[in-house]
Amino acid sequence: MEKIISIKNLTYTYPDSKTPAINDLSLDIYKNEWLSIVGKNGSGKSTLTKLIDGLIEADSGTIVIDGEVINEENIWDARTKIGIIFQNPDHQFVGATVEDDVAFGLENQGMPREQMVKEIDRALDLVKMSDFKTRDPQSLSGGQKQRVAIAGVLATKPQIVIMDESTSMLDPDGRKKVLDLVQKLRQEQDLTIISITHDIEETELSQRIVVINDGKIVQAGTPSSIYDIGPHLTKFGLEEPFSSQLVQTLRNSVKLPEGYLNEEELKEQLWKLHSSM
Amino acid sequence: MEITFEHVTHSYNVNSPTASLGLDDVSMTIKDKKFTAIVGQTGSGKSTLVRHINALLKPTSGTILVGDRKITSETNNKNLKSLRKNIGMVFQFPESQLFEDTVQKDIMFGPMNFGASAREAKAAAKKMIKLVGLDESYLEKSPFDLSGGQMRRVAIAGVLASDPETIILDEPTAGLDPVGRFEIMNLFKNLQLKGKTIILITHNMDDVANFADEMAVIHSGKLVATGLPKDVFNQQDLLKEDLLSLPKSAEFARELSSQGFHFDKLPITITALGKEIKQQLGD
Repeated sequence: MEKIISIKNLTYTYPDSKTPAINDLSLDIYKNEWLSIVGKNGSGKSTLTKLIDGLIEADSGTIVIDGEVINEENIWDARTKIGIIFQNPDHQFVGATVEDDVAFGLENQGMPREQMVKEIDRALDLVKMSDFKTRDPQSLSGGQKQRVAIAGVLATKPQIVIMDESTSMLDPDGRKKVLDLVQKLRQEQDLTIISITHDIEETELSQRIVVINDGKIVQAGTPSSIYDIGPHLTKFGLEEPFSSQLVQTLRNSVKLPEGYLNEEELKEQLWKLHSSM
Repeated sequence: MEITFEHVTHSYNVNSPTASLGLDDVSMTIKDKKFTAIVGQTGSGKSTLVRHINALLKPTSGTILVGDRKITSETNNKNLKSLRKNIGMVFQFPESQLFEDTVQKDIMFGPMNFGASAREAKAAAKKMIKLVGLDESYLEKSPFDLSGGQMRRVAIAGVLASDPETIILDEPTAGLDPVGRFEIMNLFKNLQLKGKTIILITHNMDDVANFADEMAVIHSGKLVATGLPKDVFNQQDLLKEDLLSLPKSAEFARELSSQGFHFDKLPITITALGKEIKQQLGD
């Protein structure tokens, strides 16, 4: 697997703090993977994304993005490879219409008008918001707003998209649509997704979960290996998956295999037990 | 206080071409000292409904009875203070309503607005900050230096400080992490058990199943169901027409029943589901 981001021995301490927010952290992120970063509030996960995007500068350690070690000279180039979708859809709109808003990132890149119009149409088409092109972003639902924000990010053709709790303020339907869209775009556009989240269902979509606590990686693995931690997940700001909560109520009296079972696996087990009665 | 809606209709932009019905002939009773959940899709009219309870919105026709107070289209905007003191409202993202330079002043604002002395308001602030799970040292901080979850707690403390009888919550836990959500939901449940009436607007059906005594389902401004959660979640017509989604336990039970398992009534909590499964497996 090809690495798109490689972080080595990264440390960062906020100016007014005694303890480091990121403490000697190393992590490789692979091309086209969906990586979930989880951890309770204040664990350092947002700081890590700020370091990756060059919004703050590490005290020590290195970050390699797409083969280049990030330094003061090339950080702007590196940033064009990264798009961020934030938590509150209301805090990321600058344009009076949906298309103006998507244009914002492209204008910043100094793209000629004609090409820009094409890119805006392409991006809005990808997120299925073309019909809303001339609407005021404030008139949209939360889920629609986030889709426009994604279009704004896609228009700049990033290789990496960071979702910073970007579905946590949406209703279940809006959340599902945004996540389905991101999954589809990851596959079609060869994107790498880094998702910071507290939502256990969102982490199920990822190939790998990294758990951060006190600025360090304390667990990393496939979703099922992480879910195996069971009730301790709450210590890391995650809810225990439904299936493992149910397994716990059944363990004492129903014979189930060891380890984490997802909902499908649990159903299969229960059906098997039922039919052999 | 018992709250009764009698044939309440609310039109937005009356007499204009864009007129639309926010509420359409709603009649229902919200029971005193109970925990009532109000569910429905985005834009269904849930928020419009609860804004009638403290007369932030007035009905186009129909009557709302809040205890012995009557609210109609004629209700005057004066003299609403005593009503609003008794009905605390926590809006979505309440942290956006914080404005004072210290947490203490922010929490004191409500009680003082309703006539408490500075000393009483200070005492209320001290009590409420602990109730929402923060220690006293937060009182001197600026609300804008707090994390999102802490700001949410301060905003809730501010509403509770006026000691309202009824507390209306419009998705109070959206955007909080799971531990924070659980703590806040438990806080409201405890307030109810101590005698408050709680009205919760939510999209989270598991919260409805775990915390609510009663529920109401709103769709396109109409009340389509009310009752105990365990009954309402078993109304097949609502599920078929996609007016309601199920708590995870009920959904899982429904899937299990496609092969072998049989549920007379879908269980809505994990405890109830676990018990049913054990019984059916002959334990």
